[in-house]
Amino acid sequence: MATGSESSLRQRSTVPKHPQSRDDSNNTAEDAPKNVIKSVFTSAEKTNSLIALAGLTAVAIFVRFYKINEPDEVVFDEVHFGKFASYYLRGSYFFDVHPPLAKMMLAAMGYVIGYDGHFLFDNIGDKYNDNNVPYIGLRALPAFLGAMTVPLVYMTMREAGFPILTCALAAFFVIFDNMLVTQTRLILLDSMLVFFMMCSIYSYVRFYKTRNNPFSLKWWSWMIATGVSIAMTTSVKMVGLFTVATIGVAVIWDLWELLDIRRRLTMQQFMNHFYARAIGLILVPVVIYLFWFYVHFAILVNSGPGDDFMSTEFQETLKGNTMADGIYVKYGDNITIRHKDTSVYLHSHYHNYPLRYDDGRISSAGQQVTGYSHEDPNNLWQIYSDSVENTKFGKQVKDKDVIRLLHVTTSSWLLAHDVASPTMTTNEEITTYSTNEDGSRFNETTFQIILESGGDKLRTMASNFKLLHQATKVAIWTHPQKLPDWGFEQQEVNGNKNIVQKSNLWLSDLIEGKNASEIDQESSKAVKKRSFILKFLELQGKMISHNAGLTDSHPYQSLPIEWPFLAKGISFWTENDTRKQIYLVGNPLGMWIAVASLACIIGVSGADLLSRRRGFYPLNQDVQKRFYYATGFFFIGWVFHYMPFFLMGRALFLHHYMPALVFSYMVLAAVHGFIFIEGVDGPISDPGPETRPRQVQRAVVPVVAYATGIILMAIHLGSFLFFAPLSYGTSAISVAGLARRKFLPQWDFHFAK
Amino acid sequence: MYTSENIKRRNPVGSSTTRDQSLQQPQDDHHHSNSQNRASADPYGQNPLKPAFQQQQHQQAGGYGYRDHYQFGYAPPRKEYSANKYIRFYQENDYILIPTLLTLVSFWTRFRDIKSSDIVVWDEAHFGKFGSYYIKGEFYFDVHPPLGKMLVGLSGALAGYDGSFGFDSGAKYPDIGYGFMRIFNAFFGAIMVPLAYWTSQELRMSQTACIFAAVLVLFDNAYLTISRFILLDSMLLAATCFVFFCLTRFRNERHDPFSLDWWLWLAMTGVAIGLVSSIKWVGLFVTALVGLNTIEELWDLFGDLSLPKTTYIKHWAARAACLIALPFSVYVASFALHFAILRNSGPGDAQMSSLFQASLNGNDFRSNPLYVAYGSKVSIKNTGYGGGLLHSHVQTFPEGSRQQQVTCYHHKDNNNNWIIKHAKREEVPEDAGSAPRILRDGDLVRLGHEQTNRSLHSHPIKAPVTSAQWEVSGYGDDSTNDANDEWVIEIVDENSRHPKDGQLRSLSTTFRLRHRVLGCLLTAENVNLPQWGFRQIEVTCDTRNRTNSPHSIWNVEQHWNDKLPAGEGNLYKSKFWKDFWHLNVAMMTSNNALIPDPDKEDVLASNPSQWPLLAVGLRMCGWGDDAVKFYLLGNPIAWWGGTLSLGVFALTVFYYIVRRQRKFQDVSPMEWEQFLAAGKLLVGGWFLHYIPFCIMGRVTYLHHYFPALYFSLLLFSFVIDHFVNRPAVSSKVRNVVWGVAFAAVTFTFLFFWDVSYGIRGPAAETMKSRQWRGAWNIIDDHKPNTFI
Repeated sequence: MATGSESSLRQRSTVPKHPQSRDDSNNTAEDAPKNVIKSVFTSAEKTNSLIALAGLTAVAIFVRFYKINEPDEVVFDEVHFGKFASYYLRGSYFFDVHPPLAKMMLAAMGYVIGYDGHFLFDNIGDKYNDNNVPYIGLRALPAFLGAMTVPLVYMTMREAGFPILTCALAAFFVIFDNMLVTQTRLILLDSMLVFFMMCSIYSYVRFYKTRNNPFSLKWWSWMIATGVSIAMTTSVKMVGLFTVATIGVAVIWDLWELLDIRRRLTMQQFMNHFYARAIGLILVPVVIYLFWFYVHFAILVNSGPGDDFMSTEFQETLKGNTMADGIYVKYGDNITIRHKDTSVYLHSHYHNYPLRYDDGRISSAGQQVTGYSHEDPNNLWQIYSDSVENTKFGKQVKDKDVIRLLHVTTSSWLLAHDVASPTMTTNEEITTYSTNEDGSRFNETTFQIILESGGDKLRTMASNFKLLHQATKVAIWTHPQKLPDWGFEQQEVNGNKNIVQKSNLWLSDLIEGKNASEIDQESSKAVKKRSFILKFLELQGKMISHNAGLTDSHPYQSLPIEWPFLAKGISFWTENDTRKQIYLVGNPLGMWIAVASLACIIGVSGADLLSRRRGFYPLNQDVQKRFYYATGFFFIGWVFHYMPFFLMGRALFLHHYMPALVFSYMVLAAVHGFIFIEGVDGPISDPGPETRPRQVQRAVVPVVAYATGIILMAIHLGSFLFFAPLSYGTSAISVAGLARRKFLPQWDFHFAK
Repeated sequence: MYTSENIKRRNPVGSSTTRDQSLQQPQDDHHHSNSQNRASADPYGQNPLKPAFQQQQHQQAGGYGYRDHYQFGYAPPRKEYSANKYIRFYQENDYILIPTLLTLVSFWTRFRDIKSSDIVVWDEAHFGKFGSYYIKGEFYFDVHPPLGKMLVGLSGALAGYDGSFGFDSGAKYPDIGYGFMRIFNAFFGAIMVPLAYWTSQELRMSQTACIFAAVLVLFDNAYLTISRFILLDSMLLAATCFVFFCLTRFRNERHDPFSLDWWLWLAMTGVAIGLVSSIKWVGLFVTALVGLNTIEELWDLFGDLSLPKTTYIKHWAARAACLIALPFSVYVASFALHFAILRNSGPGDAQMSSLFQASLNGNDFRSNPLYVAYGSKVSIKNTGYGGGLLHSHVQTFPEGSRQQQVTCYHHKDNNNNWIIKHAKREEVPEDAGSAPRILRDGDLVRLGHEQTNRSLHSHPIKAPVTSAQWEVSGYGDDSTNDANDEWVIEIVDENSRHPKDGQLRSLSTTFRLRHRVLGCLLTAENVNLPQWGFRQIEVTCDTRNRTNSPHSIWNVEQHWNDKLPAGEGNLYKSKFWKDFWHLNVAMMTSNNALIPDPDKEDVLASNPSQWPLLAVGLRMCGWGDDAVKFYLLGNPIAWWGGTLSLGVFALTVFYYIVRRQRKFQDVSPMEWEQFLAAGKLLVGGWFLHYIPFCIMGRVTYLHHYFPALYFSLLLFSFVIDHFVNRPAVSSKVRNVVWGVAFAAVTFTFLFFWDVSYGIRGPAAETMKSRQWRGAWNIIDDHKPNTFI
């Protein structure tokens, strides 16, 4: 997007001898323009453009809002984002890997339409109407912003100097993309993301066009608007950083040009430019980003499902948190040990593992150790140190201490050994070993206690810990699989070789006989204070580490390389009775045309680069500049919103391609214009006090451009309508119909048989 | 530093074409006059006794650095000769005396006391053993290409070792000449030092800087330590240094294309690439550096409009021949030699195709019964490159059907044995004594796993990794089986002289197994299962009906059937290219399986982020008080300096280009070009050898950083040289800086002497002062970050 202002003054009618030269000194008075006007566009043209804009916007609103009440069930990730909106309305603390803005917008929408947050969106397919949830209002916000993306795309293209046809083409493709439609009609974050992203791009284009009047009010306004928009984008999802990078690259390029001594700026002037951008594009966004977190903490004052993700200090700031109930555990105490994920107690009883399992494997036939979900005296374990002589009774249990656990009612030591567990051959069996026998198995009964949170001393409720078996390096673990009848259908407990797994965490609920007496009930009511910046830093760190940790595989995850080609879709929602389904898939024909246009960009710029290297200048200079600075900028946007995903280790989904997809449609329209439209409209930037007015030049839009544009739109629309039933989920498709729509074998539709 | 008056006189940076021409022209004149005027007396002139690269060095040294000062009236200091004839002798011959001296010191440091530990240290257990296989000629398999290990074998053969020692880790060496084998390896480590010196010369560093670069390599404890054992690293490092040297040497010939020297060094670069890639695939990183440099050169030439098109095509052709064809030939040749030496059956057989195995001496496949029949016991081999043997074991799938796992496995054991049964029990002939029925195309079979009696089974349940295909499991037994156990044999081809008569022969007939009910094909793409499947290869039933995919085609490898006569003679011959690809794919597959195992606490592995600042060391052997202990640890000053110089270089470049945008020229265009070119090579080399390790998923160790380190060490010297070797810096300051640098590196090396040459006695007592960073485990047995 960046260019030298003086080079835009160059006379159009003669082809410069050396287009690479930036020396303008030979521009003389005879280059002076013949007619000086403020805009290249006539008023009739402006009216046409407005009509096109209004029409497209209306269509966009219709397409997004069509039957928005269907299905009246929870769809896909509405499970998460609807739930988070409810938590805001309740003020209960929750944890999510995304920044808060979009979820707060949803909550605000809910607040406005009188929703109280009573529903938790637990499962896909839960009925909204049965639960009295005003879901249409909640969906209306993303749908509206999704629709508003369309005029933004149109206006961005228009401001970048493209003819109405090109702008309309881009907007049309954005309207009728099935993925954008599906994703923006539901209670999800991506429509806000794309909306703010387009606000950023639009504002930046406007800002850049005012570059001949630096530090003017308009200049400042659009720059601040850009800064605010990128902050809003990033406050929706961290993906907004890609937008920041896109704009950042353009800004750095622009600054680099300003630094060039031939621009005749003094260092002082240059630094003013630099500081202005630092304020508008760094400081303002950071403040806004932090502000939303401030609001986030201000709303979520109650203890909630997100407590466990945070540090003890953080949890103590929440009303109703259990942290203050914690008391320090000492050697000799009888404690219960509860599994953090599945909330079962570590349990044992006078029953042994069967010697031979159904599959023929043999066990140690030792005493069973299980996970039990109810309170029971058999859940009590007494803590001993790893030394027989020095039991350390009365001393506090510290991080990394090596301990032994005595099962109180059966008087036996907890033990792990290299015998396969009942249900998992890869994991170790956990059993106990009676105190009556000799001490020969002492080494198999020692465990190291590793505190993952809550200070360096073991405290009930507050400390999450792992129990790491010293001899064989396994962590005590349990999982929801039930043991057969011989284990009373209690949960299996075994030794997990993967000691880093998060689900190895346990916590101690209570100390027998001490809880009632030692907890100061008054103190638990007090809510502590903690500075905002500390809270923010902790949450931000947790968001990043959790996001990177989302590596569990998901049946609908896909690889970035598959996205542009739409190799895989996502099943969002199904209804067995009616055989309806929502299946997220882009508009296949539109997306494939978009890929072709991206390849076109690479091909054309490559050919141009090669020929210029050989001294040929195949493109008219203004066309070339528009090609690189406008089309190229959108292409860079696509690259920056797409390529970073290749470096991410987390599970990725098709809808991560949405921001890049919008850029690819803009590129598509621009490439169409590049091929079929002759010349460009110009100048489009605001003239400044030092710019000499230049001759106006106009693009010629031949009939063939309209014809091909209409053909492209027809293909795109046809493809959209063909897949619309899958995108809206409003009607069932026959088996044969699904087979026809299965363009690629990997698209795993439901009800296809 | 130039003032603004100077700027006006100076030509701003033009296009690179004009720059090249404007710079080259005067330089050539300069060189010309130099060589004529001073040829006889001056060492800058031609001296027929000097090697070619020395000539070039001095010719250009006359131009480089001083040349621009020349233009502005700054004369280069003439070399003044001492009256003392010995000193004069030195001065006249320093170009040969300095590297010789450095090499001698290098030999001394590398060879001294090399037998101080008489046990098998660290990976000597691997590479010593691989060397033994060459001596014995037994076929083995390893993830690395063969050249380095063949050299180990050669060193053993030269030392008179007969290949009988097992090289068990920590075992005491018998009298097998291991000292010689270590010296052989150490030799490669030692020649890195003169290579560093000469490479620095090619990068146009001052003589002091060249010496400093060489000293950094010489006195790096890590290079020293790793060179002194029977490992591939010293060869890899030496070869990497040699590639880089050839590259810089070739670059300096660019003004004289197609001359003899140009061809020589281009070809040498190609050969060196071939060698380094034949030692370890890490060599591909330096190959990438050469590749990028070549692309840049070709791009520059492309912009030279005065260059005839035919010449330009010649440039391409020359590079294609020397940098692609030549290295590839070297690589292939190393494999040809590998196959030629390893003629006997050995532990690596199972990685190769059945036909290849049958051609090895000592293999009994040939005596297998020829025709496969119902009731035969067989092992079944996947014909895809890197394919394994169909395998099953008692462990079950943790998800999906939770039935018994079926995988592909590359080692021979009894779990690979399957018995070919009639699909339905009622078809079993009554008379057990009758002749077995030979299998034919289209026959329906059930495959029973010999050890567990489970049948090969598939069903519409998603496979564990390739979820688009169906899972294959072991299910049921002879009494319980269902239609999902039935497979149809589809014969594909016959690789022997026998006619294609639809009969199934062991080894030579390839066939598919099609699931009768689902119609899918038994397939093993080279996809590794997670840890629960022991990283063996996933077997699926592929619904895509890709009948030509070698991964869906199988052959019978071993075959037992008492009722059939033994086969006769060798009808089989495998082709070299097939074997070559087969082995390379197998290496790739095994390499991919070397990913960190979260179940195992690997105290030796480290994270790439820990390397540049030397946050970790590595214990190379047991840490008992009586043992001679080696700790793989770099010279901290050298490592930190190298890493720091990367940052300093980046900042310097940033500073210069910002200043140039404002038309301040702190360095002359010539210096600037040289500065950028050398920096590009060094920083590029460092990046290409470091960043891939951050991205790749496989388990990484400290010594993976060593090739990258070489570039950062050279850059360290280069950056110091850049700042002190300029007119504004007085010679006193220059000497002090260099003096401090030399002293710091040397003393640190001496301080960490024991770490490299062996710690004797309890480390906790003697090594306390060496614990410079908390995470080093020289003393304590702790391993930080184990759980995080």
